[in-house]
Amino acid sequence: MENLNIQATQRTPEVDFNFEKSIFFLRGESYPEDVTSFYGPVISQLREHLASREGVEISFGFELIYFNSSTAKILFGLFENLDEAASAGNKVNITWAFEEDDDNMEEMGAEFAEDLEHADFQLKQLKG
Amino acid sequence: MLAEEMYEFRGQLKERGIIFCYSGYMTEDVLAGIGSAIRRKLEIEEADRRTAKILFSVFVEQVQNVIRYSAEGEPPNVPPGDFDLRYGVLTVGIQDDMYFVACGNLVKNADVDPLGAALSHIKALSKEELKVLYREKLKDGPPEGSKGAGVGFIEIARRADNGFDFDFAPMNDEFSYFCLKAYI
Repeated sequence: MENLNIQATQRTPEVDFNFEKSIFFLRGESYPEDVTSFYGPVISQLREHLASREGVEISFGFELIYFNSSTAKILFGLFENLDEAASAGNKVNITWAFEEDDDNMEEMGAEFAEDLEHADFQLKQLKG
Repeated sequence: MLAEEMYEFRGQLKERGIIFCYSGYMTEDVLAGIGSAIRRKLEIEEADRRTAKILFSVFVEQVQNVIRYSAEGEPPNVPPGDFDLRYGVLTVGIQDDMYFVACGNLVKNADVDPLGAALSHIKALSKEELKVLYREKLKDGPPEGSKGAGVGFIEIARRADNGFDFDFAPMNDEFSYFCLKAYI
Protein backbone atom coordinates (compact mmCIF):
# COMPACT_ATOMS: atom_id res chain seq x y z
CA MET A 1 0.00 0.00 0.00
CA GLU A 2 1.26 3.47 -0.92
CA ASN A 3 2.41 5.50 2.09
CA LEU A 4 0.09 8.27 3.09
CA ASN A 5 1.32 11.74 3.91
CA ILE A 6 -1.21 14.51 4.38
CA GLN A 7 0.07 17.89 5.55
CA ALA A 8 -1.52 19.45 8.61
CA THR A 9 -3.91 22.36 8.19
CA GLN A 10 -5.26 24.77 10.80
CA ARG A 11 -8.03 22.28 11.54
CA THR A 12 -6.79 18.88 10.45
CA PRO A 13 -3.79 16.93 11.69
CA GLU A 14 -0.79 15.72 9.76
CA VAL A 15 -1.38 12.14 8.68
CA ASP A 16 1.90 10.26 8.42
CA PHE A 17 1.13 6.62 7.62
CA ASN A 18 4.03 4.40 6.64
CA PHE A 19 2.33 1.18 5.58
CA GLU A 20 5.58 -0.47 4.60
CA LYS A 21 6.96 -0.21 8.15
CA SER A 22 3.56 -0.15 9.89
CA ILE A 23 4.45 3.11 11.62
CA PHE A 24 1.64 5.62 11.89
CA PHE A 25 1.35 9.14 13.23
CA LEU A 26 -1.38 11.71 13.67
CA ARG A 27 0.03 15.11 14.63
CA GLY A 28 -1.56 18.47 15.27
CA GLU A 29 -5.07 19.78 15.68
CA SER A 30 -8.33 18.14 14.73
CA TYR A 31 -11.64 19.93 14.44
CA PRO A 32 -12.57 19.41 10.79
CA GLU A 33 -15.77 20.66 9.27
CA ASP A 34 -16.73 17.10 8.47
CA VAL A 35 -14.87 14.39 10.38
CA THR A 36 -16.21 11.65 8.15
CA SER A 37 -14.91 13.11 4.91
CA PHE A 38 -11.48 13.76 6.43
CA TYR A 39 -10.98 10.55 8.40
CA GLY A 40 -13.15 8.13 6.39
CA PRO A 41 -10.68 7.38 3.55
CA VAL A 42 -7.65 7.51 5.84
CA ILE A 43 -9.08 5.05 8.32
CA SER A 44 -10.45 2.64 5.75
CA GLN A 45 -6.94 2.34 4.28
CA LEU A 46 -5.52 1.77 7.73
CA ARG A 47 -8.15 -0.88 8.53
CA GLU A 48 -7.45 -2.69 5.30
CA HIS A 49 -3.74 -2.67 6.07
CA LEU A 50 -4.19 -3.83 9.67
CA ALA A 51 -6.44 -6.69 8.60
CA SER A 52 -3.70 -7.98 6.31
CA ARG A 53 -0.95 -8.03 8.99
CA GLU A 54 0.00 -10.98 11.11
CA GLY A 55 2.85 -11.31 13.58
CA VAL A 56 4.36 -7.91 12.81
CA GLU A 57 5.20 -4.83 14.87
CA ILE A 58 2.77 -1.97 14.47
CA SER A 59 3.32 1.42 16.05
CA PHE A 60 0.82 4.29 16.26
CA GLY A 61 1.78 7.68 17.65
CA PHE A 62 -0.86 10.24 18.58
CA GLU A 63 0.62 13.73 18.96
CA LEU A 64 -2.47 15.86 19.14
CA ILE A 65 -2.61 19.38 20.47
CA TYR A 66 -6.37 19.71 20.37
CA PHE A 67 -9.31 17.68 19.06
CA ASN A 68 -13.05 18.21 19.21
CA SER A 69 -15.70 15.77 20.37
CA SER A 70 -16.51 14.54 16.83
CA THR A 71 -12.84 13.64 16.44
CA ALA A 72 -12.95 11.86 19.81
CA LYS A 73 -15.46 9.42 18.33
CA ILE A 74 -13.08 8.68 15.48
CA LEU A 75 -10.12 8.19 17.82
CA PHE A 76 -12.14 5.85 19.99
CA GLY A 77 -12.84 3.68 16.95
CA LEU A 78 -9.18 3.82 15.96
CA PHE A 79 -8.13 2.44 19.34
CA GLU A 80 -10.59 -0.43 18.84
CA ASN A 81 -9.09 -1.19 15.42
CA LEU A 82 -5.58 -1.18 16.83
CA ASP A 83 -6.57 -3.48 19.67
CA GLU A 84 -8.14 -5.88 17.18
CA ALA A 85 -4.89 -5.92 15.22
CA ALA A 86 -3.09 -6.78 18.46
CA SER A 87 -5.52 -9.57 19.27
CA ALA A 88 -4.91 -10.96 15.78
CA GLY A 89 -1.30 -11.63 16.77
CA ASN A 90 0.52 -8.40 15.98
CA LYS A 91 2.64 -6.48 18.45
CA VAL A 92 0.90 -3.13 18.63
CA ASN A 93 2.39 -0.13 20.42
CA ILE A 94 0.31 2.99 20.90
CA THR A 95 1.95 6.18 22.13
CA TRP A 96 -0.16 9.11 23.24
CA ALA A 97 1.71 12.40 23.54
CA PHE A 98 0.47 15.45 25.42
CA GLU A 99 1.89 18.90 25.99
CA GLU A 100 3.30 19.72 29.40
CA ASP A 101 0.48 20.71 31.82
CA ASP A 102 -2.22 19.54 29.45
CA ASP A 103 -3.93 17.30 31.97
CA ASN A 104 -7.05 17.04 29.81
CA MET A 105 -5.12 15.61 26.88
CA GLU A 106 -3.28 13.23 29.20
CA GLU A 107 -6.58 12.11 30.73
CA MET A 108 -8.18 11.57 27.31
CA GLY A 109 -5.33 9.26 26.31
CA ALA A 110 -5.69 7.27 29.48
CA GLU A 111 -9.44 7.02 28.91
CA PHE A 112 -9.07 5.79 25.35
CA ALA A 113 -6.59 3.20 26.59
CA GLU A 114 -8.93 1.79 29.24
CA ASP A 115 -10.55 -0.65 26.84
CA LEU A 116 -7.29 -1.93 25.37
CA GLU A 117 -6.81 -5.64 26.05
CA HIS A 118 -3.99 -6.57 23.72
CA ALA A 119 -2.18 -3.46 22.53
CA ASP A 120 0.58 -1.77 24.56
CA PHE A 121 -0.02 1.81 25.53
CA GLN A 122 2.29 4.57 26.66
CA LEU A 123 1.74 8.18 27.64
CA LYS A 124 4.48 10.56 26.62
CA GLN A 125 4.96 14.18 27.58
CA LEU A 126 5.99 16.41 24.70
CA LYS A 127 8.88 18.72 25.51
CA GLY A 128 7.70 22.32 25.68
CA MET B 1 -24.65 59.84 15.08
CA LEU B 2 -23.43 56.71 13.39
CA ALA B 3 -20.31 56.54 15.46
CA GLU B 4 -22.16 57.48 18.62
CA GLU B 5 -24.71 54.74 18.11
CA MET B 6 -22.08 52.11 17.42
CA TYR B 7 -19.99 53.25 20.35
CA GLU B 8 -23.02 52.97 22.59
CA PHE B 9 -23.60 49.42 21.33
CA ARG B 10 -19.97 48.59 22.02
CA GLY B 11 -20.40 50.05 25.51
CA GLN B 12 -23.34 47.75 26.17
CA LEU B 13 -21.25 44.74 25.21
CA LYS B 14 -18.37 45.97 27.34
CA GLU B 15 -20.64 46.39 30.36
CA ARG B 16 -21.44 42.71 30.10
CA GLY B 17 -17.79 41.79 29.96
CA ILE B 18 -18.02 40.72 26.34
CA ILE B 19 -14.74 40.55 24.46
CA PHE B 20 -16.02 38.83 21.32
CA CYS B 21 -19.49 39.00 19.90
CA TYR B 22 -20.79 37.48 16.71
CA SER B 23 -24.37 37.46 15.57
CA GLY B 24 -25.17 36.00 12.20
CA TYR B 25 -24.74 32.94 10.09
CA MET B 26 -22.35 30.52 11.72
CA THR B 27 -20.11 28.70 9.34
CA GLU B 28 -17.00 26.61 9.78
CA ASP B 29 -14.96 29.49 8.30
CA VAL B 30 -16.38 31.87 10.88
CA LEU B 31 -15.49 29.31 13.56
CA ALA B 32 -11.91 29.04 12.32
CA GLY B 33 -11.50 32.82 12.06
CA ILE B 34 -12.95 33.71 15.44
CA GLY B 35 -11.15 30.73 16.93
CA SER B 36 -7.73 31.98 15.94
CA ALA B 37 -8.55 35.50 17.11
CA ILE B 38 -9.59 34.11 20.51
CA ARG B 39 -6.38 32.12 20.78
CA ARG B 40 -4.35 35.19 19.86
CA LYS B 41 -6.13 37.31 22.44
CA LEU B 42 -5.52 34.71 25.14
CA GLU B 43 -1.84 34.53 24.22
CA ILE B 44 -1.49 38.29 24.52
CA GLU B 45 -3.34 38.26 27.83
CA GLU B 46 -0.98 35.53 28.94
CA ALA B 47 -3.88 33.41 30.09
CA ASP B 48 -2.41 30.11 31.17
CA ARG B 49 -2.29 27.48 28.45
CA ARG B 50 -4.68 25.19 30.25
CA THR B 51 -7.38 27.88 30.45
CA ALA B 52 -6.75 28.88 26.84
CA LYS B 53 -7.17 25.30 25.66
CA ILE B 54 -10.34 24.74 27.67
CA LEU B 55 -11.88 27.98 26.45
CA PHE B 56 -11.07 27.11 22.85
CA SER B 57 -12.51 23.63 23.27
CA VAL B 58 -15.77 24.93 24.74
CA PHE B 59 -15.96 27.56 22.00
CA VAL B 60 -15.61 24.95 19.23
CA GLU B 61 -18.29 22.68 20.70
CA GLN B 62 -20.68 25.60 21.23
CA VAL B 63 -20.27 26.97 17.71
CA GLN B 64 -20.47 23.53 16.08
CA ASN B 65 -23.74 22.96 17.96
CA VAL B 66 -25.17 26.12 16.38
CA ILE B 67 -23.84 25.16 12.93
CA ARG B 68 -25.49 21.75 13.18
CA TYR B 69 -28.64 22.36 15.15
CA SER B 70 -29.89 25.96 14.99
CA ALA B 71 -33.50 25.98 13.83
CA GLU B 72 -33.07 29.38 12.17
CA GLY B 73 -31.35 29.53 8.83
CA GLU B 74 -31.26 29.82 5.07
CA PRO B 75 -32.71 29.09 2.63
CA PRO B 76 -36.16 29.78 4.12
CA ASN B 77 -39.02 27.39 3.52
CA VAL B 78 -36.98 24.23 3.94
CA PRO B 79 -36.96 22.07 7.06
CA PRO B 80 -34.21 23.13 9.53
CA GLY B 81 -32.37 19.88 8.82
CA ASP B 82 -31.76 21.10 5.24
CA PHE B 83 -30.42 24.58 6.00
CA ASP B 84 -27.22 25.61 4.26
CA LEU B 85 -26.59 28.39 6.76
CA ARG B 86 -27.61 28.46 10.37
CA TYR B 87 -28.08 31.56 12.48
CA GLY B 88 -26.77 32.02 15.98
CA VAL B 89 -25.22 34.43 18.44
CA LEU B 90 -21.91 33.89 20.18
CA THR B 91 -20.33 35.87 22.98
CA VAL B 92 -17.03 35.30 24.75
CA GLY B 93 -16.12 37.40 27.73
CA ILE B 94 -15.09 37.74 31.33
CA GLN B 95 -17.47 37.91 34.25
CA ASP B 96 -16.61 37.58 37.97
CA ASP B 97 -13.02 36.71 37.05
CA MET B 98 -14.18 33.78 34.91
CA TYR B 99 -14.18 33.45 31.18
CA PHE B 100 -17.49 32.57 29.64
CA VAL B 101 -18.65 31.33 26.26
CA ALA B 102 -22.35 31.80 25.53
CA CYS B 103 -24.27 30.76 22.44
CA GLY B 104 -27.89 31.33 21.50
CA ASN B 105 -30.04 29.97 18.73
CA LEU B 106 -33.62 29.11 17.87
CA VAL B 107 -34.85 25.60 18.56
CA LYS B 108 -38.16 23.96 17.69
CA ASN B 109 -40.59 23.82 20.58
CA ALA B 110 -40.75 20.05 20.19
CA ASP B 111 -37.01 19.87 20.98
CA VAL B 112 -37.19 22.01 24.11
CA ASP B 113 -38.20 19.23 26.53
CA PRO B 114 -35.78 16.55 25.35
CA LEU B 115 -32.86 18.99 25.06
CA GLY B 116 -33.67 20.56 28.42
CA ALA B 117 -33.94 17.15 30.08
CA ALA B 118 -30.64 15.98 28.59
CA LEU B 119 -28.84 19.15 29.68
CA SER B 120 -30.32 19.07 33.20
CA HIS B 121 -29.14 15.49 33.46
CA ILE B 122 -25.62 16.35 32.30
CA LYS B 123 -25.48 19.37 34.60
CA ALA B 124 -26.23 17.23 37.64
CA LEU B 125 -23.52 14.63 36.94
CA SER B 126 -20.19 14.43 38.75
CA LYS B 127 -16.89 14.51 36.85
CA GLU B 128 -16.66 10.74 37.09
CA GLU B 129 -20.24 10.22 35.88
CA LEU B 130 -19.63 12.59 32.97
CA LYS B 131 -16.61 10.54 32.00
CA VAL B 132 -18.69 7.35 31.96
CA LEU B 133 -21.45 8.96 29.90
CA TYR B 134 -18.87 10.40 27.50
CA ARG B 135 -17.45 6.93 26.89
CA GLU B 136 -20.91 5.52 26.29
CA LYS B 137 -21.58 8.23 23.71
CA LEU B 138 -18.25 7.63 21.98
CA LYS B 139 -19.05 3.95 21.79
CA ASP B 140 -22.72 3.87 20.85
CA GLY B 141 -23.79 7.49 20.48
CA PRO B 142 -25.75 8.78 17.53
CA PRO B 143 -23.69 9.52 14.44
CA GLU B 144 -22.56 12.98 13.48
CA GLY B 145 -25.36 15.33 12.52
CA SER B 146 -28.14 13.45 14.23
CA LYS B 147 -30.43 15.15 16.69
CA GLY B 148 -30.29 15.00 20.44
CA ALA B 149 -27.78 16.04 23.04
CA GLY B 150 -24.67 14.37 21.74
CA VAL B 151 -21.16 14.18 22.95
CA GLY B 152 -20.56 17.91 22.36
CA PHE B 153 -22.59 19.00 25.39
CA ILE B 154 -20.84 16.42 27.56
CA GLU B 155 -17.52 17.75 26.32
CA ILE B 156 -18.58 21.26 27.41
CA ALA B 157 -19.70 19.98 30.81
CA ARG B 158 -16.42 18.12 31.31
CA ARG B 159 -14.18 21.00 30.27
CA ALA B 160 -15.93 24.01 31.79
CA ASP B 161 -14.44 24.10 35.28
CA ASN B 162 -17.16 26.33 36.63
CA GLY B 163 -20.09 24.60 34.98
CA PHE B 164 -22.75 25.92 32.67
CA ASP B 165 -26.23 27.41 32.72
CA PHE B 166 -28.90 27.18 30.09
CA ASP B 167 -32.52 28.07 29.52
CA PHE B 168 -35.19 28.61 26.91
CA ALA B 169 -37.43 31.56 26.08
CA PRO B 170 -40.68 30.80 24.21
CA MET B 171 -41.00 32.79 20.97
CA ASN B 172 -44.13 31.56 19.25
CA ASP B 173 -46.12 28.39 18.48
CA GLU B 174 -43.19 26.84 16.69
CA PHE B 175 -39.93 28.10 18.17
CA SER B 176 -38.13 28.91 21.39
CA TYR B 177 -34.82 30.63 21.93
CA PHE B 178 -32.11 28.54 23.54
CA CYS B 179 -29.03 29.83 25.30
CA LEU B 180 -26.16 27.98 26.93
CA LYS B 181 -23.42 29.76 28.85
CA ALA B 182 -20.36 27.89 30.00
CA TYR B 183 -17.93 29.25 32.63
CA ILE B 184 -14.21 28.57 32.54
